[in-house]
Amino acid sequence: MSGERPATDGGSVTGDEGRRIGGGSRRQPVEGNRLGWLFEPRLLTVAAASLLLVVAAGLVQVSFGAYSMTAGQAWRAVLDPAVLLDPRWFLNFLLGEELMRTVTGFQGELPELAHETLIVWNIRLPRVLVAVVVGANLAVSGAIFQAVTRNELASPFILGVSSGAGLTILLTLVVFGGLSAFLPLIAALGGSVAFLIVYAIAWKNGTSPVRLVLAGVIVGTVFNSLQTGLFFFADDIGVVQSAIQWTTGSLTGTDWEQVRMALPWTVAAMGLALAGSRQLNLLLLGEQTAKSLGMSIEKVRFALSGVAVLAAAASIAVAGIVSFVGLIVPHVVRNLVGSDYKRVIVGCLFVGPALMVGADVGARLGMSVLTGADAQIPVGIVTGLVGGPYFLYLMRRRRNVGDL
Amino acid sequence: MTIFGANATESEEQSGATDSAADGPGAATDPAADGPGGAAEPTESDAAADASDLDAEDLVLGYPTAPEPVIDGESIAAEPGAVTALVGPNGSGKSTLLKGLADQIEPDDGSVLLDGRDVHSMDTKALAKQLGLLSQESTSPDSITVEDLVYHGRYPHRGFFERTTAEDARAVERAIELSGCGHLRDREVGSLSGGQKQLAWIAMVLAQDTDVLLLDEPTTFLDLHHQMEVMEIIETLRDESDVTVVVVLHDIEQAARLADRVVALTDGEIRASGPPEEVVTEELLSEVFRVDAEVVATDRGPRVAPIRARHEE
Repeated sequence: MSGERPATDGGSVTGDEGRRIGGGSRRQPVEGNRLGWLFEPRLLTVAAASLLLVVAAGLVQVSFGAYSMTAGQAWRAVLDPAVLLDPRWFLNFLLGEELMRTVTGFQGELPELAHETLIVWNIRLPRVLVAVVVGANLAVSGAIFQAVTRNELASPFILGVSSGAGLTILLTLVVFGGLSAFLPLIAALGGSVAFLIVYAIAWKNGTSPVRLVLAGVIVGTVFNSLQTGLFFFADDIGVVQSAIQWTTGSLTGTDWEQVRMALPWTVAAMGLALAGSRQLNLLLLGEQTAKSLGMSIEKVRFALSGVAVLAAAASIAVAGIVSFVGLIVPHVVRNLVGSDYKRVIVGCLFVGPALMVGADVGARLGMSVLTGADAQIPVGIVTGLVGGPYFLYLMRRRRNVGDL
Repeated sequence: MTIFGANATESEEQSGATDSAADGPGAATDPAADGPGGAAEPTESDAAADASDLDAEDLVLGYPTAPEPVIDGESIAAEPGAVTALVGPNGSGKSTLLKGLADQIEPDDGSVLLDGRDVHSMDTKALAKQLGLLSQESTSPDSITVEDLVYHGRYPHRGFFERTTAEDARAVERAIELSGCGHLRDREVGSLSGGQKQLAWIAMVLAQDTDVLLLDEPTTFLDLHHQMEVMEIIETLRDESDVTVVVVLHDIEQAARLADRVVALTDGEIRASGPPEEVVTEELLSEVFRVDAEVVATDRGPRVAPIRARHEE
């Protein structure tokens, strides 16, 4: 336990500040350094490294494809002032054409863009952005669920969210084909409803982490069986492939529409997660301590789970069920920045996107590099392939995987 | 009426309301609570006026998994501003009783009154500002620092979005000083020994700055040095503050030395209660703990020399 790291180096930036003041109060009262915890060297390093990775992988994504360009061309296209400095184009992408016209009052034709710029901004960049959003959502969702269930193996999907979403996806594709336009919404709703069912099953004069996880297993088992059963009723291979894409998670064909769909929920969920980080920290001290310190534990647990489900649902709606990101990223982050949830959440906001954008490079371009075939694989396959071995490495290296 | 009196400047309506409640109905119930117990006058009279009352009446406590209640209709009054020790053999229900007093277990019947208010009907945070509980087993992430752990004790005093205040910093400072873990403050909890961990947890519950402090076997499993450290903290609380302390102790000699009042339990029943000299006797030891022992009165309270376990019955 001891000796992994000199214990004294646990002193945070706030601690250092205090030492200079002397014997009096060590932590700045009223926190003149409100955000002091953000500028902790380990966290900054993690954020910077992740950001670099996102940029590098993103650049690969926007450069290569059916129409390949050099990194320089791609970079110039991303930073094309014709888009970045023209609010009409920029809002056209971010808000959609209709909203852009209402906001700017502009009714004419948008100015012409260069060929590269069009490809990058119209097709390739939104996919990178969706990956960023999905990565952040899954990582934060997983981090919250790991604290709420006090279970290191918890993922965003531990409380039935994935099985509920998977079942409704199959139902929509196989039985209610007419509703497939609403598939993203239905999947997200299915996940949330399954979570509520899990909670209702686990509830008996309050609940507990173990009861919740068990109820999640029960609901998951039943729903997964139903989902697998439905595959037999799929009459053509296209439906099956589409179902597999959704249930393993894929970013193929994602567009600005997906960015616009997920972004507001993501911002809300991330904000709430940060606001709830102190409650998460207290949950880590155990139910009894949290209760004796006056936490209304059931309310807090339900509310935080709700935030995590919101984040997971937002990512399901745009990318389907991407596994392993929500399990692995919180572990990585905890190992790098410690167990303080304020830092864990912020770290997840950076590391999640890095893993997701990186994995999507493999999903989009991997097959054409390996086999020369012009095919894409679901990104969930790549995250599993990357995440599994990394988890093994963590397990071998540390006796206590991700001290929780 | 707090551990450090640091709350004097606090203008929160919550503490204001409870203050007046203590002076009104609390004062009225005082003699009644002391009457049957037999404890005449608390050591410091002005402390008693400010200190909080914790009274349990006809408390029935049990666990949903067990058909029979562990505690079946017992009443206990913690002496305001003094230390009350709960002693008894394993499984006698002392920890259960303590959890009931702390509203951690919902009573099947009866009630626990804190300054005349039913703890179960109180808002959880308002209760946690007045009543602190240190559980027997506490878990924490290994990588949290002692100082951060102690800051968690301020949870009930902070609003949802509130940052730590000067008030919080002061309470944490005093708690760390009082528990003597200043040299540990930047250490990670995972790197501490069992005894050091216990001091850190005591600091956390002290930072909560409550009028009533409930401690569940704070000295069990500690080496002698750390047992004495914990005892000294409780002695300091007894002598220098008007905190009402209820502590479960395994070691009856420690209880006799530390407490103003000892309550002995067996099988969920209170067998004896009163000043240590009256409760810690050879008869009680044979009846409650089922040991033959020699009790010698010394100037540090009764000294217990256990001789043999009783095997009859």
